[in-house]
Formats: sequence, structure tokens, C-alpha cells
Amino acid sequence: MTPPPSSFTFTVEVSRSTAHLHLAGDLDYDTGDTLVQEADRCLTDHPHLRELRLDCAHLCFCDSVGISSLLTIHRRTTARTVRLRLENSPPFLQRLLDVTGIQQLFAQPQTSQQAE
Amino acid sequence: MNTTTSTETRRDLLWAAVTSRDEHRAADLVLAALDEGLDAETALMDLIAPVQARVGSEWAVNRLSVAQEHAASAITERIIAALAHHPAARVPPTLGRVTVACVDQEWHSLPARLLAEVLTLRGWQVDFLGAQVPTPHLIAHLHNIGADAVALSSSVPTRLPTAHAAITACQAIGVPVLVGGAAFGPGGRYARLLGADAWAPDARAAAHRLAEGIPAPSLATGRQQIDDLPHLADQEYTLVARNRAQLVREVLTRIEDRLPAMAAYTAQQRERTAEDIAHIVDFLTVALYTDDSGLFTTFITWTADILTARDVPARSLHPALEILADELKDFPRSTLLLGQARSALELAPSTTGTPPGVHV
Amino acid sequence: MASTKSTSPAQSRLWDLAPYPVILADEAGTVAELNDAAGHLLKGAAPGANLLDVAPAWLAQAHQEAILRTRLAAQGTRKPPVLASVSGRIAAYSFEAHPTVTQDGSVVWWLIDDTDRRLAEEALATERERTTFLAEASNVLLASLNTDRCMATTAQLAAEYLADVAIVITPVSNGKLPVARAVAGQEADRALVVADPSDLPGLGEALQGFPPVPSRWIDPAALPAWVIPQGFGSTIGSVVVTPLPGHGVPAGALILLRGTERAQFNENEEVFARLFAARAGAALSAARLYSEQSAITQTLMRDLLPPSLQRVEGVEIAGGYRPAGEAERVGGDFYDVHPGSSGQDPSLVILGDVCGKGLEAAVLTGKIRNTLQALLPMADDHQRMLRLLNGALLTSHHTRFATLVLASVRRSENEVRLRLTSAGHPYPLVVRRDGSVEEVHTHGSLIGVLPAIEAHSAETVLRPGDTCLLYTDGFTEARGGPLGDELFGEERLRQALSGCADMPAGAVVDRIQMLASQWLRDGPHDDMALLAISAPHTNHLSAVDGTTRGRYTA
Repeated sequence: MTPPPSSFTFTVEVSRSTAHLHLAGDLDYDTGDTLVQEADRCLTDHPHLRELRLDCAHLCFCDSVGISSLLTIHRRTTARTVRLRLENSPPFLQRLLDVTGIQQLFAQPQTSQQAE
Repeated sequence: MNTTTSTETRRDLLWAAVTSRDEHRAADLVLAALDEGLDAETALMDLIAPVQARVGSEWAVNRLSVAQEHAASAITERIIAALAHHPAARVPPTLGRVTVACVDQEWHSLPARLLAEVLTLRGWQVDFLGAQVPTPHLIAHLHNIGADAVALSSSVPTRLPTAHAAITACQAIGVPVLVGGAAFGPGGRYARLLGADAWAPDARAAAHRLAEGIPAPSLATGRQQIDDLPHLADQEYTLVARNRAQLVREVLTRIEDRLPAMAAYTAQQRERTAEDIAHIVDFLTVALYTDDSGLFTTFITWTADILTARDVPARSLHPALEILADELKDFPRSTLLLGQARSALELAPSTTGTPPGVHV
Repeated sequence: MASTKSTSPAQSRLWDLAPYPVILADEAGTVAELNDAAGHLLKGAAPGANLLDVAPAWLAQAHQEAILRTRLAAQGTRKPPVLASVSGRIAAYSFEAHPTVTQDGSVVWWLIDDTDRRLAEEALATERERTTFLAEASNVLLASLNTDRCMATTAQLAAEYLADVAIVITPVSNGKLPVARAVAGQEADRALVVADPSDLPGLGEALQGFPPVPSRWIDPAALPAWVIPQGFGSTIGSVVVTPLPGHGVPAGALILLRGTERAQFNENEEVFARLFAARAGAALSAARLYSEQSAITQTLMRDLLPPSLQRVEGVEIAGGYRPAGEAERVGGDFYDVHPGSSGQDPSLVILGDVCGKGLEAAVLTGKIRNTLQALLPMADDHQRMLRLLNGALLTSHHTRFATLVLASVRRSENEVRLRLTSAGHPYPLVVRRDGSVEEVHTHGSLIGVLPAIEAHSAETVLRPGDTCLLYTDGFTEARGGPLGDELFGEERLRQALSGCADMPAGAVVDRIQMLASQWLRDGPHDDMALLAISAPHTNHLSAVDGTTRGRYTA
């Protein structure tokens, strides 16, 4: 069997000042752009946004292009003084953020009460 | 000068140097032989090649470790490189231009390397592309360079479909192909099957064939891969190859149901088992590709022998073949192949045949 | 001898009505009777004349054979034989002649004009031959993207099917005209000729692609000597120069020559030559574009390809690289080894990974490698090097980053001392001689995105048989295995490395690459680079004394 094509899906929830992106699947070379575009849309469509949360509970894989897309989103949110948070990072993502030395950019909330 | 006796002595000395990882002593030995008048081709073919062959066979019967085998091969590579710079090995190119390469995923580059050196010594201009050359790289090289012929090396039969793709690709741009290596079977039977323009059992024979001249393939008719293997039209190869992972998974799950002892396997042991099953599927697949039942039965009986030698009961092969036969019952050629392999296993003649070039 | 009485006047009137020429001749070939049509057709034919004088040779001969066979038959079964019809030309026309034998042994020839059918058949056969030729020529021409081979093939095909000699000329390069010349039935030869294309009327125009029609009526005497290949013995009778149209730009010109003994090129043949030229020109132009492109790519890539390594200052270093795309040679992974400026100075080894793949990523690796090379004077201060590199790469345009490991490598007695600094890169691994595998805990941030970075070095010592492995995530992220979709992962990499204890660096690289490649099989993958640093075994130093150490140094 050929390896399954990398699948990546997300759902968006927006409250008054917070947007939630729930990511699922592989964030990689083929899908990184999609996430950046979606985050951009959240930021432009909701000018009063104060916080963007990326829920990574169902993320299966992330490669360097995936990390690059997270960094791009970080730049865009910083420019609009929107806080960016990664929630429920699976161990592989935490290790990746640790190895690349960028975990401090994505302040992780102590508890993840927002998880559904 | 009694070169025959001294070549034998030198061979033993070289063997001792190579297996004790003494690169300098090994290189000095070969270079000294050249200084004393041994000709470079004899040094390659009657000194270095037999020592390397012995490394392979000693490793196969577990008398050399993987580390020793790799170290020995690395040393041999460097000696060949050193030999190429000796004055005795300087031959101006007077014949045509030949490209020497291993097919994709072929890691054993030494036979191809030896051929490249022998051809250089005989006056060819040689482009040696090394181990595992993806076919697109090979073709790009040929478009740029315009070689008179290509020599392709492959040792593992499971790479035959890839070798076939490489052969037809070269021929499609008008370059004749000579093939060699264990993958092409006894007497080069698969070389003929896959439409190679020539086959040679060793570097000297290959040099001889090239010197005779291999006619360029005719381009006018636009030959295609399927023309060599009309049986591929039944799609069995395609379907089995495409579902390899799923087949392996299925067989693994069902074999675990059947053999309770496997419940205690570590993840690593389980992965080894999965690899063994994948290997069976790979050989079945290539037997479907070549439509050659001998290829599959030889592999199965050889595997049985290896398992027996390792004190692993060969009976674990039976359920794997049985489950595969059940999974593939709608495929007539697969069913036939699996049936033949199972009866060959029943007879279980404990032969010590030549290994079909399997990586373990 | 004439036996005219066998035909009645009634018969001869009927023959006059026949829509074909009819002629009756006796055993001696003397014309006994003929109708008006036959009289018009065969000049001088009249009763009493002999067929040998008034009929074409093929008919006269057929008559003799018919008489002979009739006689032989008469001696045997007495049954008149069935005679086969013959055909041939009479003046500008073509006829089928059907014989019938009369009772007295004379033969009547019924001549049926089949000129139109014959012409149509000939035209069809020629057309078929040409279509087949053009189809085959396309197969042959399109097969190779090698310009030399393509020129030679074009010349050979044209000489074989269109002329006696064919010459392909491509536009001037470096002041010379590239030429391929072929005589029918012989191999083409290739040459670079110093000549002015305007020496041959029509050639200059054809090389400029204008006018887009062949030039004929060229005086063969005007041919410059370099045009005619060695192997051609006879005198040139006719010349045609045809442009080879390329994709938008002219690909070259085709000169066709025929010897004096052959007919000159007619209009029909010229049209056909043009059809061939269109195909050959397209193939030649594709080959030229390909070779130009690949020359550019090769020039640009020369600096992007990883270096080949062996032994630096008594330390074994080996590298391996496999780019993501099958057709690519460069990508986002890179490594470099810079030997120390003196024997005491450590060498600097670099391995890194730019996110992304293909040429775009490769261009950034080139920039990084150049920058690091410029920073070599401060190679002992990894942190400073990384800070400067980070500053050089920062841009607001994108967040494409790099991760890398710097390793300062110094041989000390039998040992190799390493100082390693990771900038956001996976931990270097060390396999000891006993097979145990350790991570080297150097830690730092990735390069090229953050305004400020940090990096912490770590040190380790390799003893003979130990190897340090730097690798990119292409290995750990390789998907495959027996079940098809599993990641190779760090754990398998450690196990694989554990099996490489006590191997030389080159063998470690080969083995890890082989295992990863077997894991992947034919599946897609990212760029994969690795670099092994080993402390060499020292037994050869003790085994070889100082005087006989030999010339061999790796």
C-alpha cells in the first residue's frame, strides 16, 4: 500500500476575543500553508481578537515546514498584539519545540480547561 | 616469475590485512605487487575480488561480524582507489565511453566498482555513478554525456522490476544495456527476460562483451516495458505490489492469532517477524513480475535452511504461506506460486543452495 | 506461314468494338489481326509485322513464352494451358496483357490500360512509406536529449531516406559551426568547422530560420569543401538547403545532396523533406534547451553539492546525502568540513537542515555555507558564529529557518575531542565501541527567525572504535517499514547506530543509509544527510613501523 497522503484538517471556533483552531493530522510540507492561510483569515476577519489558540491534541506529525508555519503565525499575531498559544501539545511536538529552542514563543497554559 | 603462487600467497596476506582492519598494510601489499610487475587487472580480479568474495561468504556463515564486513569493504574500496593512481593503472582512453552504475536501492557497489576499473584499464572512458542510482539521475547523465553503453549492476532479485525500468529507460534513449550481478539469476536468465542487450557473469566477461560491441537498441518501433512481460497484463503483480503493506499487516495479525507464543514477543521481535513476512511478499511479487516460480521456491527453501541453521523451526513459514494463499485466493498466479512453494517446503530437502542474494 | 483464315470477318468486327486494344499473333510472332485501338497504341503494328518489331519487349517475350507453353501442352494432355497475364509499360502508359489461345495455336492479346490504378497504388505505397518513416523518425529523434546524438541521428536518417548525403548544421557557437555529416548507409561524423555560413547560398538564411522554405537550384560547384563528407565518392548533382525549425528559434539547417546519377529533388520530395525537417528541428531544439538548462543547473549546483570527504587531520569523517526528489541532486540539507588552519587547530564540521526542499531550499543552504565559511576565523567561538549567522539570515519576508550543528574536531593522541553546538538541531549521537549509544546534550535555538538566539555547547571524547553521528530529521521522519507507514524514528536510528559500533566512519554512513533506504523502499522522503566522525583504529600504526609506512595516505 502506498503511504497515506498526509491529511490535515482543522475546525475553527471564535468567541468574542478568542479564536480556537483545532488541528488534526499531519502539519508538514504539504499542509503548512493551509494553516497559515486559515490563521490569517481569523486575524483579518476578527479584528478584535486578543488571543489565538491552536489546539494540537489531535496533531499526529509536524516537520520543519510545520514549525516554520507556526513561526509565521507567531509573527503575524505578534504584529497585531494577539497572543498565540499552543494547547495540548503531544509529546513529539513538545520535544520538537524544545529541540528547536522556540517553546517560549508559544506560552503553554498551565491547564487546558478549554479542551473539548 | 611464478605469479600464480605469489598471487595466492598475496591473497592470503591481503585477507589477513583486510580482516584485521589494517588498511595501510593491505594497500602497501597491493601496491608492492604492482611494483613487482603484477598487472593491474590481475590485481583487481585475482587478488582483490576473491578476497572481497570471501568477506561476503564468511559473513554469510556468520564468521565475520557486520562491523568486520563493513570495515573490510570500506578498506577494499580505498585500496581500489589507491590502485587507480598507480602508474601501472594509467591507461589513456582509446575506446568508447561507458557508464557504470548500480540500480536504485542497490548498495553493493564493489562489483560495479571493479568493472569500472577493469574497463578503464582496457581503455574505456568510464563514468562510475556508484551505488543506488535513481533511474532519473542515470537518464539525465546519459542525455548529458551520451555514453556508448551502460553497465548496470544489481544483486538483489527483489530489485528486478526497478532494474527493468532502468534497462528500458536507457534503451528508450538509444543506449544499449549490459547487466550483471546475482539478481539476474543463473546464466543471466532474468537479463534475457527483461530484454537487456547483454549479460556478463563477471567484470572480465563484461569487458569482453563490450569490446565485441553491443548494437544499439532499435528506437523506430518504440518498444515498451510490457512487451517483455505480457503476463503483467493480468494486473496480479500490480495489485499484490500495491497492497504489500496491507498484506503484511493481515498475515502478521492472523499469524499472531495462530501462534500464541507470539503474544510474548517484544516490539522489536514483532517487527522482525513483520520484516520476514514482507520479505516473503517481496519475493512473491517479483516472482509474479518475472512469472518465474523457481525464484519464489528457491527463496522459500533457502529461508527454511537459514531458519534451521539459526535453530528457528522452519514451520513458522507454513502458516505465513497458508495465510497468504488464503488472502490471495482470487489471484491464480499467486495461488500457483504459493502452492508450489508449500510443496517444496514439505519435501524440505535440506540443501545448502546459493542464497538468492538476500540482505539479512 | 500466316494463317489468317482462322478468324472470320465477323470476329474482327467484334474486336473493333472491344474497349481495349486487341492483337492476334501466330506462333512465329507475326501479327495476324488487330483492332483499331491496338493499331493506335502500337506504332507500326499491322498484319504481317512481327511483334518483336512493333510490340514492347515484355509483350513480345510473353508471346514467345505463351506459344512455347501451348506447344508443350499440346504434346501432353491436349488441353490448352491457362496462360498468366503479364503487365508492362507501353509509351507513357501501363497495361495488363491477358492472353487467350485460339484453336490453331495463335494467341490473342487483350491489353487493358491500368495506368491510373498503378499510379494510385504507387502514390499510396510512397505515402505509406513516408508515413512509416516519419513515425519511426519521430521515435528515434525524440529518444535522445543529447545534442550530438540528435544531430548525428538526423543526418543519418536524412541521408538514408531523403538523399545520398545529409549534413546537419547548428547555429555558430564559439565562432565555430557544429556539423554532423552522413553518407547513406554509414555512421555520421561530427566536426566543428571554422567557416562562414554565407559561403553556401541559402545556408545563412536557413540558420536564421528564414525564409521557411528549402532553397533549391543551388549550384553544386558552389558547395564549400567542408560540407562533403569523406566517404562520398561520386559527384554532387543536386543540392537542397532546408531550415530546421526549432521551438520559436531556428534549431539549425539540413543540407541534402544527391549524386549526379540520381534524379534531382522534385517539389513533392521537398515537401516531404520539410515535414522531416520540422520533426528533426523540434527534437534538436529540445535537446539544445535541455543541454543549456542542465549546463546552467550544473554550474549553479557545483557549489551546492556536498563535498566528498575522507580523512581530515587524522580523523575519519564520512558524509552521505540523499535529496528528497528522485530527479534532484540538491536540497535543504548540507554539510561541510573545514580543516583547521594548522595541525593543532581543530577542524570545523557543519551539518544542517533548511526547512523546505528542492532548489529553493538549496539556495538558502548555499547562503548559509558561504556565510559560515566567511566566519571561519572565529570558528572556536560557536555562539558568536551562530549569532552572526542568525543576523545575516533574518528577514521579514518568510520564516524559513535552518537548524544546524557545529562540531570542532581535534585529534589528540588516539582520541578525538569534539565540541558540539546545536542550533535547534536533533541531538548528535555517539556510539561507543561496546555498542552503547549516547545523546550529546547540546542545545540551542534555530537560526534565521528569532531576533536573539541562544546556544549551549557540549563536549565529548571519541576513543578508537567510537563514532559520533550528526544527522538530519529526514532519517527519523522516513516513513515506511514492513507495515508501510511507520516513522523510522529516533529509537530505530539508535538501534541501527548501535549495530555500527567499531566500524569506520564510511561504513557507518553506508550502513545507516542502507537501513533507512530499506525502510523507505520506494516511498517519498525528505532530504536526508548524515555525517560520521570516528577515531580511527590505531593497530596499523603499531603494525607498520616508521620506515616502511609506505606511500599510502588516505
